[in-house]
Amino acid sequence: MTPFELMEPQTLQEAVGLLDPDDASVRPVAGGTALMLMMKAGVFAPTRLVSLQHIGAQHSEIGVSGAGELRIGAMATLSALERNTKAAEAFPVIARMLPRLSNVRVRNVACVGGALAHGDPHMDLPPVLAALGAKVSIVGPKESRDVAVDELYTGYYETVVGRNELIADVIVPAMQSRKAAYLKITARSADDWPALGVAVALHADGNTLRDVRLVASAATAMVMRLTEAEKILNGASADDATLKRAGDAAVAEAPIIGDIRGSVAYKRELLRVGVGRAVRQALSSRPTH
Amino acid sequence: MAQVGRGIPRLEARSKVTGRAEYTHNLRLPGMLYAKVFRSTVPHGRIVRIDTSAAAALPGVERVVTGEDIRKVIPEPYYGPAFHDQPILALDKVRHVGEPVAAVVAADPHVAEQAVQLIEAEYEELPAVYDEVEAMTSQAIVHEVLKPAGTFADLKHLAGKTGTNVALDFHLTRGDTDKAFAGADHVFEHTFRSQQALHLAFEPFVAVAEPGDGMVTVHTSNQTPSFVRMEIARLLGWQENQVRVKVPLLGGGFGAKVYVKLEPLVVALALIVRRPVKVALTMEEQFYMITKHPTTFRIKSGVTKDGKITARECEVHWNGGAYADIGPRVCQKSGFTAPGPYDIDHIKIDSYELYTNRTPCGALRGFGIPQLVWAYECHTDIIARELGIDPVEMRRKNILREGRPQATGTKMKDAAIEQVLDALAEQMPWSKPFDRGTGVIRRGRGIAIGFKASISPTTSVAIVNVSADGSASLNMATTDMGQGSDTIMAQIVAEVLDIQAEHVRVMHTDTDITPYDMGTLGSRSTFHMGHAVRLAAEDAKAKLAALAAEAGLPPGTNYPPSEIFVKRYGMRAGNVIGSGTYIPTYQSPDKTTGMSENVTPFWMIGGTGAEIEVDTETGKVRVTRLVNVADCGTPINPRIATTQLSGGATMALGFTLFEDMVLDGGQVTNASLADYKIPGMHDIPPMYNELVDAKQSNGPFGAKGLGESATFGVSPAIANALDDAVGIRLTDLPMTPEAVLRALRAKEGRPLEDDA
Repeated sequence: MTPFELMEPQTLQEAVGLLDPDDASVRPVAGGTALMLMMKAGVFAPTRLVSLQHIGAQHSEIGVSGAGELRIGAMATLSALERNTKAAEAFPVIARMLPRLSNVRVRNVACVGGALAHGDPHMDLPPVLAALGAKVSIVGPKESRDVAVDELYTGYYETVVGRNELIADVIVPAMQSRKAAYLKITARSADDWPALGVAVALHADGNTLRDVRLVASAATAMVMRLTEAEKILNGASADDATLKRAGDAAVAEAPIIGDIRGSVAYKRELLRVGVGRAVRQALSSRPTH
Repeated sequence: MAQVGRGIPRLEARSKVTGRAEYTHNLRLPGMLYAKVFRSTVPHGRIVRIDTSAAAALPGVERVVTGEDIRKVIPEPYYGPAFHDQPILALDKVRHVGEPVAAVVAADPHVAEQAVQLIEAEYEELPAVYDEVEAMTSQAIVHEVLKPAGTFADLKHLAGKTGTNVALDFHLTRGDTDKAFAGADHVFEHTFRSQQALHLAFEPFVAVAEPGDGMVTVHTSNQTPSFVRMEIARLLGWQENQVRVKVPLLGGGFGAKVYVKLEPLVVALALIVRRPVKVALTMEEQFYMITKHPTTFRIKSGVTKDGKITARECEVHWNGGAYADIGPRVCQKSGFTAPGPYDIDHIKIDSYELYTNRTPCGALRGFGIPQLVWAYECHTDIIARELGIDPVEMRRKNILREGRPQATGTKMKDAAIEQVLDALAEQMPWSKPFDRGTGVIRRGRGIAIGFKASISPTTSVAIVNVSADGSASLNMATTDMGQGSDTIMAQIVAEVLDIQAEHVRVMHTDTDITPYDMGTLGSRSTFHMGHAVRLAAEDAKAKLAALAAEAGLPPGTNYPPSEIFVKRYGMRAGNVIGSGTYIPTYQSPDKTTGMSENVTPFWMIGGTGAEIEVDTETGKVRVTRLVNVADCGTPINPRIATTQLSGGATMALGFTLFEDMVLDGGQVTNASLADYKIPGMHDIPPMYNELVDAKQSNGPFGAKGLGESATFGVSPAIANALDDAVGIRLTDLPMTPEAVLRALRAKEGRPLEDDA
């Protein structure tokens, strides 16, 4: 690790001002759990790190509105979200996912904004928020803009967040009568990065599924909606044949990558059954109201 | 109160959880420098050029050192317990990716690390060999010259075969297997493979050398301090009393930290820069130090129609990696148990230790036994299933009973193999019906048993010092690396001296004052050091009695020791020093037949029962219950003994289901904890541990070792359960979900299709 400059701004705007749109060696750091690993491994050598710790207090609120909308400050830690009873009541899928996200030491320092901005397709939070239809507000030097989480990613560790932009908030629309599930399949130890993640949120009118949002992660280079599979599920009932067709459609549309956790052929089979399992898990989940 | 047999918590537990425990990693000496290692990027090649100029020019760099520079302080800088084949830094050739080629010394470890990035090396690449079977005939020769070390009694015959990659071949022949196969009702033959994996102690390798006046002190995380002293003295051409080795607690060892590892490097660097030097490896660097042997084991058995095994042939190829380390002993000592704990008249064993261009392979909890049990217990189960014999019955029919000769001819003694099998069957419980399921999730169960000989003949020495106030300290070189040796040795001292174990002070190794011990390895300490400690305490007790007599007290006096000292010396003064030395008897296996009347002082027996669930759509195996049973004689501390069972089984579970060093063109592609996973809390299944009621008649207080026993049977028990659940038989480790799904789909006639 070579020496670098560590900046500790007091405001979000100040932080944005310290970032450099043209220099990849200047980066913001929130919890640092991912960035420190990259630095230790020699994959990333910063010239300047802009620590967001001092602005954390202003941007870590977690609140559920009367209408059931969840707003999370980007500097909220994952364990703060895990322990937030209002969020857990309103979004049981988030509460079920968090205890298996890495380990408690990581969750105690890793922040929601960093988990979204990092762009590693193996992370658990992005697919769940993408399935729930969440959006982030991104602050830049001149203006801020909202981007849907499912449109945040452009490739492996690539996002639409500019080098001089920061995620400030996450807004998750109310669950209402939706049901959701996140299926995490690990091929090795239970705390391994997943070989496949499948997140789904949907409405169920009796037996008929509608507004299905189906998202794949980990087995693909980036978090991505499975729109062809969604088309099959929307308006259909969750019977074996439909779920199998949806699984096949997902396999046909998802560009799967092989790695140490499984070959392309193997991960295809995981996705083929994973889609149906995620939908079933969502349907059997506890209703929020 | 009896001290032996008490299930007291470990004496050092409180200091560990409160952060007070001493580890080499915490050591900072005045003026100490740090070294970082530049490593080979090619698996096999001649060194053409090493350019260290940019590294040496970096501000803050004290010195850049290459293999040739090492020669200035150590002219013959090759080390190793079996062969003197490993250079401190590469000379002429590199033999595996990750081999140390140069080192940078600096006051700031980050500067040293940055300078390492500036070193450039050019190699003329040579053909490489990675597979142990290919290494038998490969034209790629890893070592042109072989240099046997001649250090250990059991490896005196070691010669190697020049011009080949064979470091050691061990052969055993009893009876006539060819004839027996011809007369058998059935002959079965299978080949099983196991993968390269590693220890991954939580405390990576670390050592500090501190040059002194005509001497050097080495602070190190090491399981064999006495050997470190001997080997450093040999390398320097010094007397042993010029080398001082200090070993505090270890954060895990598992066989990785045996013999010498970083110590020759830190000593050479410290002598070159004349300052204390520390080398602390990262987790990632551990992938290039020492690993578990990959093996290929072809096993063939002749069996009667009612399931009696009449003949067995074992051909084992051990992948030793680029340097022999202790691999030759794995090949021989584990090799002679390759037919398993079965009573078989006709036996042939051919066991080969091979050099390849991989990270070296050595001792890892079980010392090769888990690789063998993996094969022979899967093979045994396949035979039982083919013949329609219950797997427990099949084993009972063939088991090696008390007094019967093992493959080497050594008669079994105090080996509770049948008791372990019975306990397994009872705890499963095997006779009860078992629900195998019908849907996507199927269930199965399996068992396996294994055994291991102890290392022999090796020596342990202990000193018990009773101070004038009656308090006792124990001085020994057994290293407590988490297995609880400090505690049980204190219990032995306390038992003999009739005091509380908690009041015995156990000193950590300092070879200036600590006597010799062969090493904390191979589950030998309880038996060997346990005896030495018992003898030392008995000696102290006898000397206390003599002191009482000198003081004019009647024989059998109940005066406490503190008063005996006052009576004898007129005030609180003096010491009683008891010492004890232990070495068991031994007969080396015959060079041609492999026979020995006395091949081991004791046998370790371990058995595993597994219940599993298989997800037939993902191939994921979930172990729902593990039953670990072992014979450790009469445990000194039943509580610690039981934790050794859970620990061993958990470690073996990782090797069974997912741990695997993946190699691509000689490069380990997953050399980090992000990509090489070990079991975590959520992976540990409910376990039932049992120590069978037994006694090792020649052991201290009836005890013997068990640190490895729970590792033996885990892999085959799970493979047998998998066969039981879904009718597939995997022959390669690890049994990943993908491997299971591929086998399932192949069986269904719709194999997974890979892209072209």
